[in-house]
Amino acid sequence: MSPIAFLLTQGLNALALGALLFFISIGLTLIFGIMRIVNFAHGALYMLGAYAGFTLAAGTGHYWTALVAAPVLVAAVGLALEFTVLRPLYRREPGAFLLVTFGLALVIGEAIRLAWGPEPRRLAIPAVLGGSVSVAGEPFPVYRLFLAGFGLAMVLALWQFLERSRLGLLIRATAQNAEMVHVLGVNVRWVRAGVFALGCGLAALGGVLATPLVTAYLGMGVNVIVEAFVIVIIGGMGSFLGSVVGSLLVGVVQTFGNFYLPDSALAAIYLAMIAVLVWRPRGLFGREE
Amino acid sequence: MAWGLALIGVAAVAPLVLPVFLVTTATEVMILALFALSLDLLVGYTGLDSFGHAAAYGLGAYTASLLLLHAGSPLPVAVGLAAAATALVAVPMGWLCTRTTGVSFAMLTLAFAQLLYAVAYKWQSVTGGSDGLAGVPRMAGPFGVTWFTSRTGYYYLVAVCLAASYAFCRAFVASPVGTTLLAIRDHERKAEALGYNARAYKLAAFVAASFFGGLAGALYAPFAGFASPELFFWIVSGQVLIMVIVGGSGTLIGPMFGAAFFLLLEHYLSAVTDSWALVLGLIFIAVVIFVPEGLYGLVRRRPPAVARSRPAPEREHGQPVP
Amino acid sequence: MTRHDRVSRRTFLTTGAAAVAAAGAPGLRRRAWAQGGGPIRIGVPTAITGTWAALGAQVVRTCKLFAEEVKERGVLGRPVEFLFDDTQGNPANCVRKAQEMVERHKVNLFTGIMASSEALAVSAKLGEWSALFISSINGAGELTAEKFVPNFFRANTSGPMGARTIALYLQDAPQKTFYAIGLDYAWGHSSVAVFEKEIQRSGKEFVGKVFAPTGTKDYSTYITRIRQAAPDALYVAMTGDDATAFYQQAAQFRLGEKIQMVTELVDILNLKPAGDATLGLIGSSRYSFTYDSPENRAFVQRFQKVVQEAPDTFDGEQYQALQVLVRGIEKARSTETAALVKALEGLEVTSVKGRIVMRECDHQAAQQGFVVKAVRRAGIPHPIPEVIKTYPAEAVTPPCRKSSYS
Repeated sequence: MSPIAFLLTQGLNALALGALLFFISIGLTLIFGIMRIVNFAHGALYMLGAYAGFTLAAGTGHYWTALVAAPVLVAAVGLALEFTVLRPLYRREPGAFLLVTFGLALVIGEAIRLAWGPEPRRLAIPAVLGGSVSVAGEPFPVYRLFLAGFGLAMVLALWQFLERSRLGLLIRATAQNAEMVHVLGVNVRWVRAGVFALGCGLAALGGVLATPLVTAYLGMGVNVIVEAFVIVIIGGMGSFLGSVVGSLLVGVVQTFGNFYLPDSALAAIYLAMIAVLVWRPRGLFGREE
Repeated sequence: MAWGLALIGVAAVAPLVLPVFLVTTATEVMILALFALSLDLLVGYTGLDSFGHAAAYGLGAYTASLLLLHAGSPLPVAVGLAAAATALVAVPMGWLCTRTTGVSFAMLTLAFAQLLYAVAYKWQSVTGGSDGLAGVPRMAGPFGVTWFTSRTGYYYLVAVCLAASYAFCRAFVASPVGTTLLAIRDHERKAEALGYNARAYKLAAFVAASFFGGLAGALYAPFAGFASPELFFWIVSGQVLIMVIVGGSGTLIGPMFGAAFFLLLEHYLSAVTDSWALVLGLIFIAVVIFVPEGLYGLVRRRPPAVARSRPAPEREHGQPVP
Repeated sequence: MTRHDRVSRRTFLTTGAAAVAAAGAPGLRRRAWAQGGGPIRIGVPTAITGTWAALGAQVVRTCKLFAEEVKERGVLGRPVEFLFDDTQGNPANCVRKAQEMVERHKVNLFTGIMASSEALAVSAKLGEWSALFISSINGAGELTAEKFVPNFFRANTSGPMGARTIALYLQDAPQKTFYAIGLDYAWGHSSVAVFEKEIQRSGKEFVGKVFAPTGTKDYSTYITRIRQAAPDALYVAMTGDDATAFYQQAAQFRLGEKIQMVTELVDILNLKPAGDATLGLIGSSRYSFTYDSPENRAFVQRFQKVVQEAPDTFDGEQYQALQVLVRGIEKARSTETAALVKALEGLEVTSVKGRIVMRECDHQAAQQGFVVKAVRRAGIPHPIPEVIKTYPAEAVTPPCRKSSYS
């Protein structure tokens, strides 16, 4: 493999991984930005998305139905959770949220085991994305190019939504000063509930997208949750741009780090996080509060 | 004071009347109680939510295991040295972590614990890699003392360590250092304006918490007979934080209740049903909603003198909204 | 005490009419033990939830099937009880659960323990508990070598034995250069180490190895590494969800077109979700339901009737471990640990995997090595592991108390 072919292949790998990590982490950062809570159930919702995607695809025969419907379903679950267990807690300390979302993670994880059983579930790549193209003379999966492209599209779409739309404006305003937004006559509760549902839906989208790579399995939530935290913290809690940059950075660190120093695979992202936090305690794009 | 004496009496007589398996369970509960107690120094009295307290537990466990396996140290010496070594490692770690507060502090502590996990996992020749160190013995001595090597003896050793640690922590939080920590927790800028070096105080609390966390880990390894990388894993950090919150942070006693509650509940639930996680999760949610001050609050039903209802004005989480 | 009784009833799978009656009356049962004629209780602290749950499910269903089979006659005329408890694959939980089984439920027989860290932690405690543990899953070579303890027995094929089997098969294969990818924990390392040595000894070239942590999502960078090394064949020492993820991603990169993939374990658990991506995969197997022998045919038939699918690797391994244990108990005419250790040493059993001998010197069961290939079979919607070659026990079992073959 020539150096250029190597860089091209690994660059694309990093981009695809970065996109996947973006889907996993963006929901977490949106929720933190507006609600100031660390959602421990995020990994479980990601897993729920993967299993729901499997069942929807198996039931309808369409990957695309699963890709749309699973996130919507999980967003609805998120909305229900916000209404029932989170809403009574908004005046409480962060420990309360930690405990409740940890409890939710346990409940959702076990509910999945009861519903789907312990065996892993497969979600096949749709035919149109199933093949491979030649990148520098070696086959490269189309699905990974799709991940990278879809990731980029979602970054742009979410960014436009947050920057341009009236709803996006409300979300940003609530993140900065909820009291002011409330005084202006907006129902802050609905903004919060909506953002929580959106965050859960995005976690599920990440789950559906990851399933063709890893299958849906019971440990998948636990395996991503800390990684998602790391990305969000590196980028800066609550920062959209931070989440984008953090995902790419971790994608690059893992792709190239694991290549040159495979023995550091367990430690690489934590070293990166320590370096960033020692340099900028609020993360790359975190605001002073 | 009366109930404290009664508790000591009960603890002293318990192993003589309980069936053996309950003595074992009680010993593990006390080790975890010590672990949770140590974290409360940070969470409850310094306002620093560590999400990497497993670092102290694992360091204590591995140091004690290595001393017992390879140096043949008598058990009390190994346990004491392990706690001291943990405190020593905590100095540079705490120095870096206390640069930050809030979620960033939580994540930095997490990062260090995960790094130690990676070290324990990869440094095969010393730590035994993913298998960990098994067969950790309870070495007798010094001076031919052996009483703590038996099941009951070990129970008493752990009980004495827990009681002494609790007494020290109680004195620590009531001391001028402790009250300054509370002032920093509630009004950091005000405290600094009064001339206190907030970071130095926080570092002191971090090192003290690590010492007792390390002690708990050091007692665990010879109890269970092994140390493995999982002891460093973030799930352990999360669980001990939950013990503190469930029990009621800022009370010292509450977290010990929390530890007992968590361990016994998981242990017995998982014996009754495969779906124990479902029940445990629902119980946690119920505790948060119906017992906001923590389990210890159920007993006292009035807020402890030092606890306050967070969010405090200066904490970054505070966003009071109707 | 009420809670105690309820726990017992839920946890025990009680067999035998006498035991069922006794379970309702704890007092009766306790008296029965005192007379030494009570039920034989086997502790199974295994992973029922968590990442290893799919493997734990195999252990549990096979133990239940076995219990059902011996229900009528019992063992030594005594009913058999299994105590299942969930460890989540974590050694701290495993030691706690096992210790309670010993101290509270008077268990002295263990099987079905999942992770090698769990097995090692329990092994180290066996002397203190005067209990016996017969492994059905644990592959790390050291358990019957450097870390041998007298009360530990391994009925299953170990990692080194699997690696040796596939290496023997490859001696005659056209491939000349080999690369290895393993899971970054004890079993993966010990398996790859044996494979590397065996390949070099057979005069072929071992060009490199890499270890991936469990729970890795993205294997692309490892696949790039493998491609750069450009071996003729790739040896895979992975299991569970990690193996499934790797096979899927390797297929997406069409890695198998230029490189023959061989593996130390071929589980239906991986073949099912990875699907056609695994067709043509060659590997050693600890157990395959396609192994043709009267004992195995009968087992597969009974198994399919109850579970509605073919037994997988650890179904077969768990069943064999129980067959060995019960034959040992019958030989010893006792479940007492010391007597049973003696009886198991040198014990010869014809199990679902053929004839096996529990070696006296290191308590490793000497047994055949299987090589299988992932193929399609009519009526089954996923690839299955078909036995294409077997090697005799003498060829695949390592020298005594060794985890390598030199």
